[in-house]
Amino acid sequence: MLSRNLRQFCRRYSQSTTFRTSQTSPSQHNENQIGMFYTIDANLGKQLFTTGGLPKSFMKQTKTFTETAVMVRRPALDLMECIKASDMNKPVVRYVLYGEKGAGKSITMAHLLHFAHEQGYLIVHVPWVSEWLRRLPRHKEMSNSQTREGFVDLPLDAASWLLHFKTQNQLILKQGDMKLSKTYEWSKRESSEAGSPLAAMIEHGINRVKYACDVVDALVQEIKILSNNKQCKTFVAIDGFNSFFYPLTRLNTPTKKKVKPEEVTLTTSFLELTKNDWNNGAILITVDELAVPEDHQESFLPKYLLYKKGFEHLDPFVPIEVGRYTEKEFLSCASYYRDRLWLRGPPEIETELKFTSTLNPFKFMEQCAPL
Amino acid sequence: MKMSLNIIRYFVPKTKCHFSWKNPIIQGTIQYTTASGSSDVFNNMTDWETLSKKKKISKAMKAYLERAREHDDFMKKQQFEYNIGKRHLANMMGENPETFTQKDVDRAIEYLFPSGIYDPAARPLMKPPEEVFPARKAAEFDEAGRPHHFLFYTGKPNFFKLLYDAVENIQQANNFEDRVIRKKATPDPNGKLDLGGSVWLTKEQLEMALVESITDLEYDNFKVVMERLVSLPYSYRHKEFIEKHRKPLASQKFALEIPKPSYDDEGKAYITTYECLRKKARGDVTIKSPGTGKITINGKDLSYFEDTQSREQVLFPLIFTGMQDKVDVICNIEGGGPSGQSGAIRWGIAWSLRSFVEKDMLEKMQVAGLLTRDHRRRERKKPGQPGARKKPTWKKR
Amino acid sequence: MAKNLRIINKYTSTYLFNKWPVVTRIRDYGKATSFPDYFQNPIFRKEDQVKLIESNELSKLASIPVKPPAVYQTSSAYQDPLVNKVINHVMEMGKKQLARSLVEKAFENIKRKQIQRFHLASTPEEKAKIILDPKVILHMAVENAKPLLQLSPIKRGGITYQVPGPITEKRSLFLAIKWLIEATNEKERTVHFPEQFAWELLEAANNTGKVVKKKQDLHRLCEANRAYAHYRWQ
Repeated sequence: MLSRNLRQFCRRYSQSTTFRTSQTSPSQHNENQIGMFYTIDANLGKQLFTTGGLPKSFMKQTKTFTETAVMVRRPALDLMECIKASDMNKPVVRYVLYGEKGAGKSITMAHLLHFAHEQGYLIVHVPWVSEWLRRLPRHKEMSNSQTREGFVDLPLDAASWLLHFKTQNQLILKQGDMKLSKTYEWSKRESSEAGSPLAAMIEHGINRVKYACDVVDALVQEIKILSNNKQCKTFVAIDGFNSFFYPLTRLNTPTKKKVKPEEVTLTTSFLELTKNDWNNGAILITVDELAVPEDHQESFLPKYLLYKKGFEHLDPFVPIEVGRYTEKEFLSCASYYRDRLWLRGPPEIETELKFTSTLNPFKFMEQCAPL
Repeated sequence: MKMSLNIIRYFVPKTKCHFSWKNPIIQGTIQYTTASGSSDVFNNMTDWETLSKKKKISKAMKAYLERAREHDDFMKKQQFEYNIGKRHLANMMGENPETFTQKDVDRAIEYLFPSGIYDPAARPLMKPPEEVFPARKAAEFDEAGRPHHFLFYTGKPNFFKLLYDAVENIQQANNFEDRVIRKKATPDPNGKLDLGGSVWLTKEQLEMALVESITDLEYDNFKVVMERLVSLPYSYRHKEFIEKHRKPLASQKFALEIPKPSYDDEGKAYITTYECLRKKARGDVTIKSPGTGKITINGKDLSYFEDTQSREQVLFPLIFTGMQDKVDVICNIEGGGPSGQSGAIRWGIAWSLRSFVEKDMLEKMQVAGLLTRDHRRRERKKPGQPGARKKPTWKKR
Repeated sequence: MAKNLRIINKYTSTYLFNKWPVVTRIRDYGKATSFPDYFQNPIFRKEDQVKLIESNELSKLASIPVKPPAVYQTSSAYQDPLVNKVINHVMEMGKKQLARSLVEKAFENIKRKQIQRFHLASTPEEKAKIILDPKVILHMAVENAKPLLQLSPIKRGGITYQVPGPITEKRSLFLAIKWLIEATNEKERTVHFPEQFAWELLEAANNTGKVVKKKQDLHRLCEANRAYAHYRWQ
């Protein structure tokens, strides 16, 4: 109790310290606050990010620092300006975030998710694509798709994603009158009628795991229609998009044949979603080196990571580079770590760390770990 | 002749004669014996001692003389051939035979017989015969077989004479100290021996100086005795003796020949160090003086090295001297692995920083070891063993 | 002419490329693998250098050849010789990077646990007692794990007695680090080395845990075998 009061007390004073800002609403962030940390409210954080969204190492930091704090950086501000200024009647603009490993792409995406949530967008967020295609516990639940020939389903993953979608968009789904435009028949006895709320279909998908992938497909189509009808504005965020275009996945069919990403139903759904044939929304995509195996990690530029197919699919897009820290950002990050008791020692350490970490945010965090 | 008289004096029994010397017979005989006889008289004697006395030189001496003569002939021949060879070489190279020095000889050989052999000791060379062939001792004993050196029968007279001298010096120093204490004086503080810049001669060098072979134990003994001598307060009185057996180390190289920076187009002072080596890495490092702390390695940032250790090594000299924000570093390296490359860059940066740094910082860098060239190389694997040092399992029987 | 060319054998000095007239050991392979004995160890840490400057010995040492510092040593403030030693002991098969990352992750785990405890502690006095620096905890753990005596087996009359005797600093330090790492390796399969190591260090710093128990057992044995101590001199 006492510590919490102490913290709030400190926060009131933190306006005078240079690394924090008390402005918690992303739409109000502007140039004055570059380099400063703002905290996301705990409940909101849980709602948005529990089932994925922030990188794992960041989640550990959240626990240690007992708060979720994100730094305001230039790429995020630029994106917010663009989205605010974009015309909703024109087809969706696709933004591609790229940068080297550990530069802060996922965190920027988290910042924008917060912004989108505040602005009342319907959030379609895929936390990490490689989770579906490349992460293989002992046995991956896979089944052959029923509605489509030769395609592979990932039922559990789809169901968990639907749950994630539901938690992120709780408010909008409750209040909005988003209805299905046509009937979807799942089996002889189950179907979703036209005019029934979207939430019901999602519930159905979560309960009946067998049809989860098809529900996802249907959901994508519905969202497009709804956006076109101006019933809701959509914010699509996909992290690790280039994983869809890598020639192989780690999945195997029961006959030990390697599966290509195009043969997974989830891939097709999200590729549909990222086409620019709908309006009233924004699409944010990250291309990451970590999404592909290490032999192909020569460069972090989108043209290399997306391969020809991806590039053509996404063309035209707006590339935004997420770079390393600037001096000011670095110093503010260092003082934040000191405040949170993550970095200790004489002040000369900062000069060394500046060089050893080459101003890469992730490396800096790693370097401070044992100190 | 005199010797033969002596021998006879010993071997003819001295009798206490009741006869007087004036007895003509005895007189005659004694006269006969003491007179210097002619050689044919001695030749007729068949006594074994007298036979052996003809060989005045002992077998050992004879063999030694034989060997010495052979060696001298050999050396003369070698010297002759060397001189002629040198003149031929000078003619071949088109230079004046009179002023052809040993350095020129070496150069000529390297030019005429280019060798791809890696080990410098195995390449062709031409040197004066004294350097190539081991020295021999001069005659150690005279014709009678009596040795000149009083410690000859130890087998290593020069070495033991050395120890003997050292002990004598120790005793002298002790005596001097006693006298000084009796007179209640103090030792001269300026006379303290400074042995920082030199080491004792190594075993091989000592062997060469003494022309004798020494065992390890004896060499350690030698070192112990000399250290004992040096530790005494009045050892400076025997400075020459000690200096004779110490080898100076050429270690002040870092302070000599510090290059002056040249200026590039933008007016920045810069220094390039070539030949930065460590293990198999080779490269060069350029430091530009009024800079911002930018480091470029092969065109990339410090992220060229992925592991923290290599990055820390590259930063080590900069942070040590405090110049991390004041200079720019540009390097090109190839070969080796991360450890070798970062070590090479570290040395290169430290060596280049010499021109931009004050003298006391230079000394600090030297004490920190940043300026020493690391010439260690991987030791080769030997036949019959699994590795360089590892041996197969040792079986007691 | 050709007769004058002789290949040197053992009797002349080899000149290395850095032009020091060093006579190498008589070996048939001409590469240097270590520095000769007259090279001094380098002194590069700021504190040690300050001490030297105060005692005016810097210029003397500067005239003696000095070995270069090792690849893992720097003069920065956050390098600790004890940490380097621990990393070397953890290392197997020469995999330095892996050993270093394991030890760093262990420190990270210690830090997280301590920060958690810090936030849970209510009063400022309790907060002050919690140590947040993992290196300090390492020092404390090693101190608490160092034995003060050791048992040496001495054979008298057919029976081998375990005789207590003194122990040098170096050996004591070595045993402490070895026990800590051994205790960590006796872990369950699912637990990772850094986590287990963090646990061991925290417990040892607290004077509880397996390693301290081992040290105390050793001390007890020494106490029990006190009677044979005179066998060292017989």
